[in-house]
Amino acid sequence: MTRLMKDDGVPDGDELARLIGQVATERDRQAYARLYSYFAPRLNAFLRRSGLPPNTAEEIAQEVMLSVWRKASYFDPARAGAATWIFTIARNLRIDHLRRLRTASAGEEEPVEVETAPSGETLLLTAEREARVREALKTLSDEQATVLRLSFFSEKAHSEIARELGLPLGTVKSRVRLALGRLRVLLEGHT
Amino acid sequence: MTIRHHASDESLLRYAAGQLPAGPARVLAVHLATCPCCRERLAAFEAVGGALLEATAPAPMAPDAFAAALRAIDREEAARAPATPAPTHLEARARPRAPVTLPGGIPLPAPLQDCEIGPWRWIGLGVRASTVRLPEDPEARLTLLRVGPGRKLPEHGHVGTEFTQVISGSFSDGFGRYGPGDLSEMDQEIEHQPIVDREGDCYCLAALEGSMRLNGFFGRLVQPFVRL
Ligand SMILES: [Zn+2]
Repeated sequence: MTRLMKDDGVPDGDELARLIGQVATERDRQAYARLYSYFAPRLNAFLRRSGLPPNTAEEIAQEVMLSVWRKASYFDPARAGAATWIFTIARNLRIDHLRRLRTASAGEEEPVEVETAPSGETLLLTAEREARVREALKTLSDEQATVLRLSFFSEKAHSEIARELGLPLGTVKSRVRLALGRLRVLLEGHT
Repeated sequence: MTIRHHASDESLLRYAAGQLPAGPARVLAVHLATCPCCRERLAAFEAVGGALLEATAPAPMAPDAFAAALRAIDREEAARAPATPAPTHLEARARPRAPVTLPGGIPLPAPLQDCEIGPWRWIGLGVRASTVRLPEDPEARLTLLRVGPGRKLPEHGHVGTEFTQVISGSFSDGFGRYGPGDLSEMDQEIEHQPIVDREGDCYCLAALEGSMRLNGFFGRLVQPFVRL
């Protein structure tokens, strides 16, 4: 039904979700190995891009993958796709790391997450959402994709991004708005 | 509660990306806790993160990284046997203490329950303020404001974006009326003067990205105390 990116040997979203399920229920190390070989190098690159030095990026990528093992039973395909779930783990561990650097007291706290109660139809909606987001990203212009990426990979507010790109703030804002608008049209198209 | 003022795309995107500073991020967390509509938008932006992660060209890990991961797992499993399920982060965070309430018995929003709420200080003209300390970032500037009916918040402009989430009561400014659950995001360089509606006290949670300049004599008087 919903086809997520399917290349040679690259697991699609359903396959990744199934692998996480096997880690959760059977502590299946082969499934874990596949998840690791797919996600760890991507996490490593993703974390570097978001400004971490290479050693740190690799350490946190490793931590994320250990969290995947520990928390596999909390993965809920009704709330997020596999890559999205792993992205949020990486995001939270990166925030924790940066805060530990800033504050002497090493807090064990994770950022506040909002609990939502998944309903019967959210599973389908989640798969749809993930697929539609990917579709939408493909249709963005280079300029729109650039500001969207900058929003993800830098802690700068859009006003600062605008200064750096030498663009008026309004231009940056409108590119983000267009990019997100396209996402929204696709996301809402099914309701 | 009908929510009329929502988080901006920019803020939700930065929250999803983990790029919003701790103070504004908590204000958004309080809004998200009451707003299913923004939660849905957040889920979409997090899916953007998932898609970007998958689209990232891989950077190889050290050759022995996977073996090291398995060793770490073996150590943990050995230490933990017989297996007890790890508490979820939500359980782990739950503190065995009575829920904190604000004066007047107004419950403190759940996403603030792990914060240290400072004493209320009178800062003039019907305005009281209390500093909220975040366990994960003691430097973050987050303030609870309690403003009396019909009172003005100090007139101010700011250099970054100001995030104000209404917890109870309501205020109005040139941009509309803000009631419980509403989030006001004021861009930089906008001067606005919120006035609390006549019905009663207004409690709100405010954080600022960047710094604020308060105008006039009153502003200069208040600035050292507000720490907005
Ligand atoms: Zn909202």
